[in-house]
Amino acid sequence: MASTASTKRLSLSAWLKTITFYEILVGMKATLSHLLNYRPVTLQYPHEKRTLPDNYRGMLALLRYDDGTEKCVGCDLCEAACPSRVIRVVSAEVPGEPTKRYSKEYYMDMTRCLFCGMCVDACPVDALGMTREFEWAVYDKRQLHLNKQQLLAIGDRSFPVQEKRLELQHPNVAFFNVAFKHVPPKPD
Amino acid sequence: MTTPTAQMVRIMIDGMTVNVPKGTLVIEAARRVGVMIPHFCYHPKLKPDANCRMCLVEIEKVPKLQTACSTPVDEGMNVRTATTVVNDAHKSVLEFILANHPLDCPVCDQGGKCDLQDFSHQYTATSRFTETKRVFQKEYFSPLIETQMNRCVQCLRCVRYCDEVMDVKALAPVGRGTMTEIKHFGFHPLDCEFCGGCVQICPVGAITSRLSMYEYRPWMLKRAETICGYCGDGCQMTVQTKGQELIEVNSAHGAGRNNGDLCARGFFGFHAASHPQRLTHPLIRRHGALVQVTWEEALEYVADRVNEIKAAHGGPSFGGLISGRCTNEELYLFQKFLRMAIGTNHIDSSARYGHVNGLQAMQLVQGTHRWTVTFEDILDADVLILVGTNITETNPITGLKVKEAVKKRQATLITIESLEPVVDTMSNIANLSHHHFRIPTSDTHHAIVGLVKAVLEQNLTQPDLAQRHPTYVNAMTSALQQISWQDLQAATGIEPDAFVRAAKVAAGARRVVIMAGQLLLRSEQGYSGCLTLLDLLLLTGKLDAPGCGFAPLAEENNDQGAIEMGTVTELLPGAQPITNDTERERIAKQWKGELPTDKGASLIEMLERARVGSLKAMFIVGENPVGSLPAVIHAEASLRNLDLLVCQELFLTETAALAHVVLPAASSLEKHGTFTNTEGHVQAVRPAIEPVGDSRPDWEIFSALSILLNSPMEYAESKEILKEIRSLIPGYSSLGPTPLPPKVDHSAVDRYLTDGYQRDLASRYHPISRASRPDGTVRLELAQSLFHSGKLSTRSKGLLQVEGSGRLRISPSDAARFALSDGDRVRLSSTSGEMTTEVKIMERVPQGTAWFPSHFGQAAVQLFECAIDPITHVPSFRTATVSMMKVA
Amino acid sequence: MTFVEKYKDEIADILSRYPVRRSALIPLLYVAQRDQGYVTESAMQEIAHLLRLTPPQVYETITFYTMFNLKPVGTFHIQVCKSLMCALVGSDTVIEWIKTKLGIGPGESTADGLFSLSVVECLAACGTGPMMQINEDYYEQLTENKLDRILTDLRSTGTSPLKSGPFMWPEPVKT
Repeated sequence: MASTASTKRLSLSAWLKTITFYEILVGMKATLSHLLNYRPVTLQYPHEKRTLPDNYRGMLALLRYDDGTEKCVGCDLCEAACPSRVIRVVSAEVPGEPTKRYSKEYYMDMTRCLFCGMCVDACPVDALGMTREFEWAVYDKRQLHLNKQQLLAIGDRSFPVQEKRLELQHPNVAFFNVAFKHVPPKPD
Repeated sequence: MTTPTAQMVRIMIDGMTVNVPKGTLVIEAARRVGVMIPHFCYHPKLKPDANCRMCLVEIEKVPKLQTACSTPVDEGMNVRTATTVVNDAHKSVLEFILANHPLDCPVCDQGGKCDLQDFSHQYTATSRFTETKRVFQKEYFSPLIETQMNRCVQCLRCVRYCDEVMDVKALAPVGRGTMTEIKHFGFHPLDCEFCGGCVQICPVGAITSRLSMYEYRPWMLKRAETICGYCGDGCQMTVQTKGQELIEVNSAHGAGRNNGDLCARGFFGFHAASHPQRLTHPLIRRHGALVQVTWEEALEYVADRVNEIKAAHGGPSFGGLISGRCTNEELYLFQKFLRMAIGTNHIDSSARYGHVNGLQAMQLVQGTHRWTVTFEDILDADVLILVGTNITETNPITGLKVKEAVKKRQATLITIESLEPVVDTMSNIANLSHHHFRIPTSDTHHAIVGLVKAVLEQNLTQPDLAQRHPTYVNAMTSALQQISWQDLQAATGIEPDAFVRAAKVAAGARRVVIMAGQLLLRSEQGYSGCLTLLDLLLLTGKLDAPGCGFAPLAEENNDQGAIEMGTVTELLPGAQPITNDTERERIAKQWKGELPTDKGASLIEMLERARVGSLKAMFIVGENPVGSLPAVIHAEASLRNLDLLVCQELFLTETAALAHVVLPAASSLEKHGTFTNTEGHVQAVRPAIEPVGDSRPDWEIFSALSILLNSPMEYAESKEILKEIRSLIPGYSSLGPTPLPPKVDHSAVDRYLTDGYQRDLASRYHPISRASRPDGTVRLELAQSLFHSGKLSTRSKGLLQVEGSGRLRISPSDAARFALSDGDRVRLSSTSGEMTTEVKIMERVPQGTAWFPSHFGQAAVQLFECAIDPITHVPSFRTATVSMMKVA
Repeated sequence: MTFVEKYKDEIADILSRYPVRRSALIPLLYVAQRDQGYVTESAMQEIAHLLRLTPPQVYETITFYTMFNLKPVGTFHIQVCKSLMCALVGSDTVIEWIKTKLGIGPGESTADGLFSLSVVECLAACGTGPMMQINEDYYEQLTENKLDRILTDLRSTGTSPLKSGPFMWPEPVKT
C-alpha cells in the first residue's frame, strides 16, 4: 500500500504539468510557434515559380550564330557522349556548300533524357545549350521526340543573345568546317 | 621456302628478350613483344622512310635517339622505348606536327580512328605554337577521294604506297618543308587507278573517301569480314555498315589473300547492292506484263508449270544457267536441284565464257582442276610469264603480286600482251616487263608457239623427256619445224632472237609461273593456247617442279567454284567428268537418287535447242545471255521461245525482262556462303546487311522449289550445304589460312605424253596464214576495264563516277589516222551490225586496235561473230574487224 | 612544235650524259625553263614521257627547287634569300621594302611585267646577307637605299653596277 500511496502523492508541479498538457505543448512548440508566425513554404506552382539556380540543367536546345546559321557541325559527339541514347544525328554535307559538314537531321528523344549535360560538354562548337525550361509535361509521349527544327526553336526563344559568327571560329585553328564553293558537291 | 633460314639475333626491348631474324627493323621486333612504338610514316608494306620522327627510341651505346622504323636490329642491341628521354622526344615531335594541324577533328571523317588523335591523347600533347597556321588552298581532288591537306602530317605513306605497291605514281609531294602538299598532276580531277590505297593508308584525315564523307563515325559501324564479289582474286574485305546502309569498305593489313590491298572495284564498288533499282518482290508475267506477287504464289506457279512441262516433255527439256558470282553452296544446290529434282544435265554457268578453257587444258595435261601454284609461288617465282592477262585491269590484286615479285623480289617478267609499254595514269604491267611481246590479242597464240619453238630448237627441253617420251618430243619438233621463223616474224612482228632470249630465261629459271588471262582464255584459241603453254612447261620440265605451274586467271569471283561444284554440264561436283561412272554412282548413292545419264548441253547448245523447240524451260540465275552474247547466237529469240523462263536476279536485266517468273535474289553482301578464288582458295562470305526487300539467297529459292517439286533438299542454313559438299567432294575441307595446291597427277601427265597430245596437235601447231586487215578498219576487242567487273558494277555509283559509260579506247596514232580527238563520236560497223560511241585516246592501246569495255557492251557485242570451240564449247566473241567512221 | 622536237639535239646530248635516264630530269627542266621562262605543263608531260616518269614526279621535282618557275616571270626576277642567315640580318625587311616599292608580294609580278618577286632558299652568300639574286646577278648587303638604286638602274638601263656576281670558284676560264 505504501508504494501505491507514494505514486499517488504527486508533486504540485507535476500535477500542474499534467493538467495543462505541458509535454504536449513542448512537443508542439515548433508547430505552435509557426501557427502564430505563418509563412508558407509550399510554392503555389502554376501561380508562382521558384527561382532557378544559375547552373540549372533544363530542356536541351540547338543554338544559332548571330547571323542565323546553325552552330551544329554534325560531328556526332553528343550522340557518342549521351549515356541514355537520347540523341541521333544524321550528318551530311551542307547543300550548296561543299565540304562543309552539318547535321541533316537531329533528333532527341526527351523521354529518356537524364539532363546530365554530357552532350553540352561534348559539343566542340557550343551548339548545344541547356535552357532553363522545364515545363515539358505533355499528354502524348511522342511529342517529346524532338527534331532539329523544334530544338532550334527552343534555342531561339531561350538564348536571345547569340554568339558572333567568325569565319575562323578559333584564331589558331585554320579552316574549321569551311565551305569551298569551287569544289563540286559530293556525289549522291 | 628454299631461302636459307636467316640468321637470328637476340635483342632486348624494354627489358624483354626477343629473337628475331637479322635485318628486322626495331619497330617490328618491338611489335613482337607487344611494345607499340608510335609512328606515322612507317608501314610494314612500305620501305622505311623515317620522315615523321615519331618512332624515336633509345638504343644503348648509340649517342642519340634512333628512329625505330629504319634501324635494323643487331646482336645484343638494347632498346628502351619507355624512358623519359624517349617520351619527351615523342612529345616534342608531336608538338611539331600539331603546330600546323587544324584540329578540326569534329568534322574530320578520320576522327575516332586517327593515329594523330590517339597519340595526342596518349601524350596529352599541347602546342605552344601561337602563330597563324599554314593554310593550303583547297583544290578539288576527285569525286571519290577527298583531300584536306591542312590535316596532313607529311608522312608520305600515300605517295610511297602509290609508287611502291601500286606502281601508279599518281601522287607526289609538291613543295618543300612545311608547305609540302600531296597533289596529283594537272588542273583536272585526279585520274588514277582509284585503288583507295591512299585513303586506307593515311594515318590522319588528310585523304578520306568522298563517297562516304560525313556519313558515319567509326564507332557507329558494324563490320562484316567478307569476300569481294567482283573478280576471281577473292580479296578479303571488311564491309562497314550503319543499320542497313552500306558505308565503307576496307581491308586490314595482312587480311586475306590480298594482304589488305584492294582495287577500285573492291573499295568503291560496294554500292551496287543498295542500288534503288534492286528487285524486291517476286514478279510473274500476267497478260504480257510482269506483276508483283507473293513468294508463295510465285513458287507455286513455278512448281506447277515445272510439273506440267516435265510430265509432257520430260526432264531433259529443262536447262539451267547460273552465274559464277553465286556462292559455292548455291552453285552446288543449283546443279543438284537440276540433276535430281528436275532430272536434266543441261547445266551451265558463266565459267563457260572462258574459264572452262583453262580448266579443260589443265585436266588434260596435269590432271588437276586447280592451280598447282599459289599467290605465294607467284611472289617467289624467278620467272613469270603473263599471257593475255592485262592483269592490272582484269585481276588487279594478282597484278600486285606480280608487281611485288618483279619490283621487290627481282623476278624476270615475260609478257605476251597487246599493251603498249607507256607510262599512263594507270599502272601498266608491260612497263615492268623484261621481255615484252607486244602483239594483238588474236595473235597471242603465235607468240606462245614462238616460245615453244625456241625451246625445242635451242635444246632447252628437259634432258630425259626425249628418252621417256620420244614420240611426243618428236611430234612436237616436227610440228614446229613446219612453222618457219619468217612466218612467225611476219605474224607477230617480233624477231626470232627475242623468243630465243625469253625461252632461255624461262628454261634456265628454277621457279616459273605462267599466268593466262581473259584475253587468252576467252579468245578463240583459249583452249589450244592453254595447252601450248602447258606444253611449254612440260618441255622445259617445269610442270611438276616445285613453285612452277600454270595459272589461268578467273574473271568472275567464283568461276573456279562453279567448276568445282559441277555447274558445267560436262562435270560432276568435284570437277569429275560426267562420263566417270564410278564417280557418278558414288554421288547418286549419296544423293539417294538417280543422276540423269544423258550428255548435257552447254550454254550455246541449250539456246540452240530452245530455238528449235526441244528445250522447253530454263532457270537462269544471275546471268544475262541476252545482254552478253552476240546477235548471231539469237539468245533473245531462243529465250522467247521457251514455255517457262525463271530468272533469279538482282536487277531486271534484258534476260529477266523476258522471263515468266522473276525471283528477287540476295547479293553477296547479304548472305552466308563461300567463294573459291582463282587459286582455289575457299573463303567465307558473310552478310553485311539484311537481304534488300523480300529478296532471298538463291539457295533458299532452290530449296523451297525442290520441296514443292516433291524431292526435298532441305537445309537450315548454308553451312549445312557446305557440310554436304565437304562430305561429297574429297579434299574440299581445307577452308583455312593457306591453301595447299594440288600436286600434278603424274599418271595424267604420262597419259597426255603418250597419246593425249595427239588430239589437237595439228590444229595447234599449223603453218600461219596471215589475214590482212583492210584499210579504214580497226581490230575491235572487248576488253575488261579496271573500274568494272561484269555488268553488276555498272550499278555502283562510285564506279560510275570514274567510268560512267563505255568509251572506245583507241591509240593516238589511230586517232590521228581517223582525225579523232578525245570525246569524238564514231560509228563502228561490221558485217554483223553497227554502233555509235565516243572515243577515248589511250596510249597503251596498240595501233590498229580499239578496245571497248565489255561492261557497257550491249551494243558493241552485236558487232562480233561468235566462234565456238569444238572441244570446250566456249563461245568466243572478243575480237572483230570493224570499220570506223567519225560522225558528228 | 613540241618542246622535245624543238630541242631535239640538246636533249639527246643531255640524255647521253646519264647512265640512269631519270637523272637527266633537272638539266631537261633547265632547257624547258629557258624556252619559255617557266616550265609549262605540256613540257612537264613531255619530259615525263621522255624519262619514263609520271607527270606528278616531274611536278614534284619542280616545286621542290625554287629555281624553277611554274608561271611566267617578269624581265627581272627578284629572288630574295629567306634562309636562316639572311633572315637573321633582315631578309623579311627586304621583302617588305620590295612590297612597298613595287607593290608585289612573293610569287607576284608587277603589272608592267618588269619585276617578279620570289623568296628562295640559301644562295650561298651567307656572309653578305641580306642578299638577293636578280636573274643571274647577286646583290648583297642590301640596304633600302641600295635597293632603290638597283631598281632604278634596272628600270632605266636594264642592269646595275651594284651587282656582285656571279661568283664562281675556280674562276671561269676567260675565253
